[in-house]
Amino acid sequence: MLRHITAALTALTLLSFPAAAHKVIEPGLNNNIVKGVFSAKPESRWNRLQQRDGNFQEVWTIDGDRLNRIVFYGGVPVGQPLLRERDKKRDPLPAVTGNMLLPDIPLLLERTYRTKYGVAIMSIGKQEPATLDGRPAIAFDYTYIDPEYEVETKGEAIAALDNGKLYLVAFEAPAVYYFGRDVEKFRNLVTTLSLKG
Amino acid sequence: MKRSVIVTAIALAATIPLAVNAADDEPVLPPYVPAYEPQSVDERGMWMMADEQEKLMALSELRIDDEELNAYVERVLCDTVGKDRCTGVRVHILNIPAFNATMSPNGAMTVWSGLLLRVRSEAQLAAVLGHEFAHFEMRHSLKGFEQRRSASDAWSWLAVLGGIAQVNTGDAQVSLVGSIFQFNRGQETEADLLGLKYLAQSPYPSRAASEVWQQLMEEADATDFGRKLKRRESYRAGFFDTHPTSLSRADYLLDQALAYNDSGDPRDDEHYAAIKKHLPKFLSDQVKLNDFNGTEYILSGIAGTTGWTGELLHARAELFAARGNPRDLITSTTLYLQAMEAGYRPPETLRGLGLSLVKSGKRSEGAKYLEDYLAAAPEAPDAAIIKMYVPK
Repeated sequence: MLRHITAALTALTLLSFPAAAHKVIEPGLNNNIVKGVFSAKPESRWNRLQQRDGNFQEVWTIDGDRLNRIVFYGGVPVGQPLLRERDKKRDPLPAVTGNMLLPDIPLLLERTYRTKYGVAIMSIGKQEPATLDGRPAIAFDYTYIDPEYEVETKGEAIAALDNGKLYLVAFEAPAVYYFGRDVEKFRNLVTTLSLKG
Repeated sequence: MKRSVIVTAIALAATIPLAVNAADDEPVLPPYVPAYEPQSVDERGMWMMADEQEKLMALSELRIDDEELNAYVERVLCDTVGKDRCTGVRVHILNIPAFNATMSPNGAMTVWSGLLLRVRSEAQLAAVLGHEFAHFEMRHSLKGFEQRRSASDAWSWLAVLGGIAQVNTGDAQVSLVGSIFQFNRGQETEADLLGLKYLAQSPYPSRAASEVWQQLMEEADATDFGRKLKRRESYRAGFFDTHPTSLSRADYLLDQALAYNDSGDPRDDEHYAAIKKHLPKFLSDQVKLNDFNGTEYILSGIAGTTGWTGELLHARAELFAARGNPRDLITSTTLYLQAMEAGYRPPETLRGLGLSLVKSGKRSEGAKYLEDYLAAAPEAPDAAIIKMYVPK
């Protein structure tokens, strides 16, 4: 009997606290982004998604990752792609290279999206010098057409190269309504962003 | 939320099936019904769905809205299948860098930009358009729908009967599933052979159909080689394949073209003249797909007809620059310079050349070209970041 009760309690505990689940990110300092590579101080609530598309990525959203999302790519080393490869041999993704310059980063993101997600229409907009936690960086914006739903999606990103590793943080949302509504939250977050690379 | 037109186009076009006709040596076309209207309830329903999807397609962001390019593809279709037949078809060209064309039961045809990039002549384009038109004329979508429905009905009855009789119907179920997919393969072959008849009666040589499949196999081999994969020794269709393999297609299409023994002008220069305005964009989309060797194969194929033009040299330079090994940067630098010598000098070539030199450690030389880039495109969206590499 006791064994049954213990088993039931264990099952209940597991159900109540799933080992890996979406997690609410409360406003205030968060220093464990992409396993501690980034820290930032969001001003509002976000949700960290359980699903990650690779070891170097973490996704936060408010309403769902198709509606608004911040994607952190933290410390991607030379030779590695931004995202997990479906099939390393048959469908390899473009990788970070040792001689990359800041203007190459938007193209790497575009090539990754075209290869991994089958994005057929994507364009990179304004690209300007910036700083990311004191490091030289590039700030850029872009748009692409979501290949599944054909929704025009806008993106704004900041990226830096440091010690042979790529750091990229991007905000993406549909051009209609969501981008305009939430982009300021991202811009404020970027001002608090620091690297522990 | 609107489903993607690509998915729809594929879904509608994949609605296929039927059996193979014996190939004859005279390209006699089947009787043609002008202004055909859907007959049965099934067919009317399919047309209604296809009409709705076509309305969405007309508004799609993926559509290349260029009257001239559309007129070119429509003209090739009409030259292939005849003016009376082609009037029932609307062509929509989609900006998708993959080899494909689709045909809906209501006469909406999509042609993808990756197809226009890969075919090397009007005749090769005609071969693909003729094949797609054959699906339309033979009402393959409807037959496929009816075939799949009756096969799935039979499947569920077999499961019930098997349950009653305590007989294992597993094998029969597998055979039925197989028959659905084989049916698709049969239909593809049928469309291939009717498409070839159109081609043999057109001003184009029918051997172009076989060339298309040979080139696709060579491109696949090039891609595999670049990815250090084994060559695809087996080109035989598997149980679940809906299309005949490229090898068997190339084979039977060539045999039949030889039997027709027709001749004609493939009009390769005319094809490249027709897509000239879009070629830099098509090339740029292909280069960004991370398929170095496959893209090299496509570029060399085009150069085989047009020679290494400035556009092709620029695209090849971008391909090497994107891979970015130190030796690649030397090659990309050379290719950018060759493109400029060939008279191709858009701002992007100056930018690519400048950045390749900077990455190769030749910062001051690179800065000169980047300065030229900024002078040529002062309002470029990346002007501010490029200025970082130009000393004040």
